[in-house]
Amino acid sequence: MLDFLQAVSDGVLFGATYALIGIGFTLVFGVMHKINMAYAAASVGGAYAGLLVLQVMAGAPPWLVFLGAFLAGGVLGWMVYALCFHFIPLSNPLATLMSTVGMLLLIDEVIVHVTAGMPQNYPAMFDDVMLRAGEFSMRGDLLLVFAVSVLAMIGLLALLYRTSLGLATRAVSQQPVAAQLCGIRLVRVNALTFVVTGLLGGLAGAMIGASVGTLSPLLTTPLTVKGLIVTVIGGLGSIPGAILAGLLVGGFENVLQLYRGVTERDLYVMLLLFAFLTFRPGGLFAAKSGRD
Amino acid sequence: MLELRSLARHFGGVRAVDGLNLTVQDGQIFGLIGPNGSGKSTTVNVIAGLLPPTAGTILFRGEDIGPLPTHRRLRAGIARTFQNIRLFGQLSVWQNLWVAQNSAEDLARRGFFTRWLGGQSGVRDEIARLLEFSGLAHKQNELAANLAFGEQRRLELARALAARPKLLLLDEPAAGMNSEEVGQLRERILSLRGSGVTILLVEHVMELVMGVTDRIAVLNFGQKIAEGTPAEIQAHPAVRKAYLGGEAA
Amino acid sequence: MDFYFGLAQLIGVHTLLGLSAYIVLLTGQVSLAQAGFFAVGAYAAGMLTVLAGWHLVPALGASALCGGALACAVGFPALRVKGLMLVIATLAFGEGVRLFFFNFDYQIAKGELKVGPVGGEGFRQIRFFPENGWETWEVMLFIWVFVAGAMALLWWFDRSRYGAVLRAVGEDELAAQSVGINLTAVKVSAMTVGGAIAGVGGGLYAHYTTHIEHASFNILLATFAIAYPIVGGLRSVYGTLLAVIFVQGILVEGLRFMGDWRNLLFGALIVLAMNLRPSGILGKGRHA
Repeated sequence: MLDFLQAVSDGVLFGATYALIGIGFTLVFGVMHKINMAYAAASVGGAYAGLLVLQVMAGAPPWLVFLGAFLAGGVLGWMVYALCFHFIPLSNPLATLMSTVGMLLLIDEVIVHVTAGMPQNYPAMFDDVMLRAGEFSMRGDLLLVFAVSVLAMIGLLALLYRTSLGLATRAVSQQPVAAQLCGIRLVRVNALTFVVTGLLGGLAGAMIGASVGTLSPLLTTPLTVKGLIVTVIGGLGSIPGAILAGLLVGGFENVLQLYRGVTERDLYVMLLLFAFLTFRPGGLFAAKSGRD
Repeated sequence: MLELRSLARHFGGVRAVDGLNLTVQDGQIFGLIGPNGSGKSTTVNVIAGLLPPTAGTILFRGEDIGPLPTHRRLRAGIARTFQNIRLFGQLSVWQNLWVAQNSAEDLARRGFFTRWLGGQSGVRDEIARLLEFSGLAHKQNELAANLAFGEQRRLELARALAARPKLLLLDEPAAGMNSEEVGQLRERILSLRGSGVTILLVEHVMELVMGVTDRIAVLNFGQKIAEGTPAEIQAHPAVRKAYLGGEAA
Repeated sequence: MDFYFGLAQLIGVHTLLGLSAYIVLLTGQVSLAQAGFFAVGAYAAGMLTVLAGWHLVPALGASALCGGALACAVGFPALRVKGLMLVIATLAFGEGVRLFFFNFDYQIAKGELKVGPVGGEGFRQIRFFPENGWETWEVMLFIWVFVAGAMALLWWFDRSRYGAVLRAVGEDELAAQSVGINLTAVKVSAMTVGGAIAGVGGGLYAHYTTHIEHASFNILLATFAIAYPIVGGLRSVYGTLLAVIFVQGILVEGLRFMGDWRNLLFGALIVLAMNLRPSGILGKGRHA
């Protein structure tokens, strides 16, 4: 029982990063009704870029690396927008799907190329801290991951609900045509959405690196799939849904890792998705129709 | 032929159709009119099975068709056209009619393999007849997307007829047509009379509705406010009020 | 010469993969699960020839059945969702299949060595062709017989009423329903045919490479599968074939001199192609 609780708690803490990735997918979907397949890859890319800080400044503190990843994620987000969306007619759903998948493969290959495919060590903070309550414990680095993710989510919600940019974003996601008539520049909102989600993604990538201890290009595909699963389970376009689903998937996979091992656990995450698709295709927080 | 019993369809708080009772007799051409947003198109969509009703029953030839999915309603004998034309643009005119031959007789006539893969002479004759009827015979190999607007409307009507319906739902078939085209459409609808098809015509163009229908129901805010022959409807005070606002009151 | 025969084998197998996505795309569905059906076909055929000692031809039949049955089974729940949700569901399914084979151990002793799939190491020694003394060109011909068969089948579909119905569903689902087309039957049947073709392709792939592992059936392969018909356009089956020759023959092999950078280029080329010709390279194409 204690093992179980421990697995759930560790998983939920780590699940905060899935929530961030899920938010990134869901936000772009909400604003543009498109899926940015390159998102998780760009997030991992941002985390890698954060390591450049260590190249420039040996012995830099981990938080500087995280900051680097955060900013690099934003830049990558803008690049993905410029290369995969800006010049492509949005009325053509296959074209942006293909362009972002192409981008996913490209980012993946750039990472493999630059690092020669070797996993890179990633700095962590508070990894020597351990909160204990009897047999039950909480890893300090995971707590930090969780706290940073929660702060990022609060920051995002503040941005969406307290600023004019956020108002414009929400207006576009609800009524793109009317929003344009009110003088909101759709292109600008779209681009900024990618930058904001990119920032979140870079941070999520860094947090994943920090809690796993290493980064490897093998992370991108599972992270893409899990981010998308989180998005679907949460309900496409729903931010609270993505948060909840991220924590749920994190806890779920860690429990299965405990009982079935690390190679099998992802298989059960897929089954969880199919269970949702069959029984609750709209996700936890279904939008009006929620199926398209 | 068709009977709606306290049919309702709500969208959130909006009651698009609100307790509608309607009976269409066999062989009738029945008009359904009303101002914009009065629930006419919603009624058609509910009858055709594209929207589930919120409440009420739909009886077609005495049977409740509520549980039937859309494609089975066609097999049962209900075909339709769309207000905003929905053809298969990248199929040829001929193919548009070919894929629409899904009446119960057609399915029974074809075996499994011929149903999917075959094209017998009977099928071709029927398509030729429909092309003749809609005046599109010379364009049969053209892609539907390349047709002119009026031709697309004609093709859509022919496509609905390809399923040999017993009840034909026409959703604003004259929208966007000039008066000459409306005249042709009127001839075409009148020529269907007596061929055993019952027609429910939703329309704004009064010239057409008053000229072809046997009976008319008027909707406003999802409810029926009047029903009668075209002459009765034209004289009805509630109808004048709904259409012209306060002035006629 | 063997190099070109090998290339022709690869093009043949990828054509089958592309055709399996082509028929599904005709109905307007984007499926990233084709690599999964391909993997199932590969493992099924490999296990039947190696472990059960079957001849390759019936084993390929079994591959087609496995791929088709699985696609049919996936089709029902997955096709309840549309558009982007379907992309996600099929992507997750494809990943699920890959993970299944990552965890799949089934070895039996054969003589001195143990044969069969071993999880992450994959499935080695699928030696039907070398054991029976087939030359490279014979293997190539054998593969192309199946490619020709699949192309003929789909070409025939395209001329038949079934093909028109598939395209009608791809054009406008609402209108298709309204003219009496059973969407579920059409979509699931297209998925099943696609799954069977992918299964055969996988079976052939397993035998000409002689070694398969889970990592080969990744998202890159799924991307290839849908990229071929999208690049080739959905006008006809030849588009898919031309796209495979173009991508595998000219881009991948032609750029071999670039060494490692070649892989980088594939992603970049997709991005570039979509910016320049969003509707596919051949013809204007048609979109879901």
